[in-house]
This record gives sequence, structure tokens and C-alpha cells, in this order.
Amino acid sequence: MSVIRVEEIEELEGGLMRVRIGPQHPISGQGTIIVTTDGEIVYEIDVDIGYSHRGIEKILENRTYLQGIVPMERMVMLDTSHVDMAYVRAIEELLGIEAPPRAQYIRTIILEMNRIISHTYALGLLAESTGWFPAFFLWTTGDREPFLELMEMLTGARWSYSFIIPGGVRADLPSGFKEKALKAIEYFRERLDVYMDAWMENALFEVRTRGVGVIPSSKAIEWGAAGPNLRASGVRYDTRKNEPYAAYGELDFKIAVETAGDAYARGAVRIQEMYISLDIIQQALENMPSGPIKVNVPQRVPPGEVYSRVESARGELGVYLVSDGTDKPYRVKISAPSFRNFFLLEMLPTIQEIKFADVPVLYMSFDPWFLDADR
Amino acid sequence: MEGLSEIKRILIEKFGDNIIEYKIVSPKRIIVKVKSEKVKDIASELKRLDFDMPVSAGGVDYIKKGIFEVFWIIWSSRYNVILILKTEISRDSPEVDSLVNIWKGVQKFERETWELMGINFKGHPKLKRLLLPEDWDYEKEGYPLRKDFSLKPYER
Repeated sequence: MSVIRVEEIEELEGGLMRVRIGPQHPISGQGTIIVTTDGEIVYEIDVDIGYSHRGIEKILENRTYLQGIVPMERMVMLDTSHVDMAYVRAIEELLGIEAPPRAQYIRTIILEMNRIISHTYALGLLAESTGWFPAFFLWTTGDREPFLELMEMLTGARWSYSFIIPGGVRADLPSGFKEKALKAIEYFRERLDVYMDAWMENALFEVRTRGVGVIPSSKAIEWGAAGPNLRASGVRYDTRKNEPYAAYGELDFKIAVETAGDAYARGAVRIQEMYISLDIIQQALENMPSGPIKVNVPQRVPPGEVYSRVESARGELGVYLVSDGTDKPYRVKISAPSFRNFFLLEMLPTIQEIKFADVPVLYMSFDPWFLDADR
Repeated sequence: MEGLSEIKRILIEKFGDNIIEYKIVSPKRIIVKVKSEKVKDIASELKRLDFDMPVSAGGVDYIKKGIFEVFWIIWSSRYNVILILKTEISRDSPEVDSLVNIWKGVQKFERETWELMGINFKGHPKLKRLLLPEDWDYEKEGYPLRKDFSLKPYER
């Protein structure tokens, strides 16, 4: 929304003004962004999270490993299979087992489809926040539909799949999946070209996003940026390449990197990543090995600790898992990408002059997800 | 891998038995366990050795041993490895130096750990309530991520 409906304004000393955006506000999500402004210029941003804190880390300590997958997934509804994968990867590393190749390929397909579903949402909101493209959010919402249908065909659910389990996946590809998926890829690739044309190369969009919220690569590293926001600042870092999991080690794909570090670059990285995701899905479908889709795993996980990570749509999602040898984890520390990215938003006014009108664009360019930060 | 053994040599030369453990778990993981008094100096040294990107921080409650283990997870853009810096502190006086001045990005993670585990990070610029409700009473309800936190009131 281009018009900020201000929930509460508070005047401070020295001509400063504090504006609370949220928690019930079109752009804010389930949190509050407290912006202190000096006239038009943003003086300080404070992101107040915690409105939807469910204590997932504590919940997991009281569930068996398999049961834990379901509450864990509630962290990011748009991107559940990545959350699932991060947890399962940690468990598998502690167990010292690997899923069979066919399961790895099916995992790759579902992960990349989830990335597309998540990125379309992020881009739709970014376009909408500039105020120029009210219809764009409808486009992206409509265009992700084929992938939601594929998800439903494969897992039985449009959201929250709980499909990846320790030792493999829950089910094999249904008949007709490959053909339908190839059709969806073809359709979506055309749509991405249209997005590039109508939106990314549109002067109106560039005016609002180029040069907004520039994060140099040194700062991105220092502040611990995650995912597309890190790559938009020119840091070549992608967990899929750095520490391959699922079938990423066997597939041929590039990493999308931009150097400008502004809101436009963050959008551009996401668009490119969707092109790459389509390639990955296509490769995985064509090179799908045959064989079993899961192996049996023991209920109890040997004692030890592991830090395992995956590249979720919002960035690196890390799970630090401590096991004491029982069938429940002793401690699970989830380091969520949005939690790290909110810190960037807070730090930005310290290095750059930001206009208040740019706050929605800036905020949406980070692809924030409050539920993810809250856990 | 030579680089990583070199780091071990430098650390042990400089800090001696303040480094309790230096373990290369896998090609992409190093665990460094240190004494809590020296954690800040060791962290600055690690930063100088190109462990530059903060990824996570948190704590584990080992209630039977009476300690908290605090950890910081750092990625090195030069070596492309993850380093887990760990230290143990007593459960009775949970206090440790904050590493915010060394790795800015751990600010929110330390704040969260302070809030949910009750570990005090000395020198942290912003120890404010983050996730819990404003009226959360630690005396009555306790710290949620500690092992002695009771889930009884929340069971249905």
C-alpha cells in the first residue's frame, strides 16, 4: 500500500517524531515497525517482534523427532518444506544416515517449488509497496497456483506439507506429475519474462527502488544478512552450493548475485532465483533416479550436537540440535533468516539517509516474515 | 585445511589453556571451546583471522551439570567454514561478555538469549524485552528455555 495509515504518532524532544506502523497495518505483518523520524528523514528504526511467539524451540523439546516436524513447520507457512528440510537434515546428520537418491531428487523438486511459491509472494508485495503496481500482487498470486496444485498432487496439501521426513520422503511421485510439472515450468517461465518486461524494466519501479537502502557487501557480512539480501550485496554465498544437501550436489545451477545492494537488486535476485529454480526442477525431473524413497530410521538419535543449515527462500536457516540420546531433542536452536534480516532494517539508518516514504519499499525488499522471526 | 590448523596454532600460542578444545568436526565445521573469562579476546582474534559473519548465538541449559553453555556461530567468508565458539558459565551467576562489539549481527540473538534463558550479556547495548509479553513475570513463570521451566500451566 502506498499510503501509510499511521496507527500512532508520538512527538519526542528535539523535533523528533515516533511513528508506530503496525501491528495491524497493511504492510506490517504481525509485528510493529517503530520509526523515529526527523522530519522526512528516518532517524531510527526499531522492529518490535514477538506478537506471534509460540515457543517453537520449547515445543520441540517436548515432541519426538518425527512429531516435531509439524509444529516446526508453522514457522514459515509459505516455505514449510525448507523448515522441514533444515530439521530433518540435522536429524539425519546426527543419525549418520542419508536418504536414497530418489528421495533426494523429490526433495529438491519440492524445495524449489516452495522457493517459487515464496518468492512470488515476496515480489508481489514488493511491487505493491511501491504504489505503482496494485495488480501485480494478483498476478503473482495467480501464477503460483500451478505450483500449489502440483504440491497438492504430490503431498496432499497446498500448505504445510510435512512431506520430508528423516530417511526420505513420505510418498513417491504420482503418475502424471512430470508432465504436469513440465507444463507448469513452461508457463511460469513465460510469466517471468512478462514480469521482467512489465515490472523490473519499468522506469516507475526503478525510480522507487534503485538506490533505496543500499547495503555494501562489508556491512552485509558484518550484520549477518541472509539469503537473497546477502547475495544482492554481491556476496557469493548460497548454502545449496557451499554445503550441498538433497540433490543439489549433482545438479548444475548458478547462484544469482547482484552487486548494487539496493531494494532493486534484492528484487532482481529473487526473479533470477526463480528462473534458476525452474531449471533445477526441470533437471531433477529429467534425471530422476529410480529406487526406494525412504529408509528406516531408529526412533532414538545418538547423543551429540550438530549445526545444520539449508538455503530457504528467505535465506540460510540454521538448526543447532543437541541430542541426549533419547527420542526427543535436548535443545533446538533455530536461527531464522528473517530474524537476521530485521537487524539489517534496524541498522540501515545508521549508514544511510532514508526517507520515510521509502520505509515500505525498504521493508518489503527484505522479504520479512514475522512468524519466522518470532518462532 | 592447512589454514584451519594454522588457526589452531595461533590460538593456542596466544591463549594457551584458555582454549579448552579445538575440534575440526567436519570440513565445514569447527568447534572451539574456551574459558568464559577470555571469550571476548578470543573472539576478537577470530574476527582478525577472518571469521567475519555472525550467523547465530544462543544457549543450552545443562541443568544436571549446573551450567549454561553459550554458543556463537560464525561463518568465515575466507575459509567458507562455520565456527562454533562455545563457553560454559555457571548456572548460579549466568553472566558472560557480550560479543556485539565484535560481531554486530549477534545483537538480536544475544538479546533473545538474555530474555528466554536469563543469561546476562555484559556490555550489550540493547537488552530489552523482545519476544515475551510485556507483563511476563520471571519470578512467577521463569525463563522459558531453561530446563526447569514448567509446561504444566500450558497443558490442556
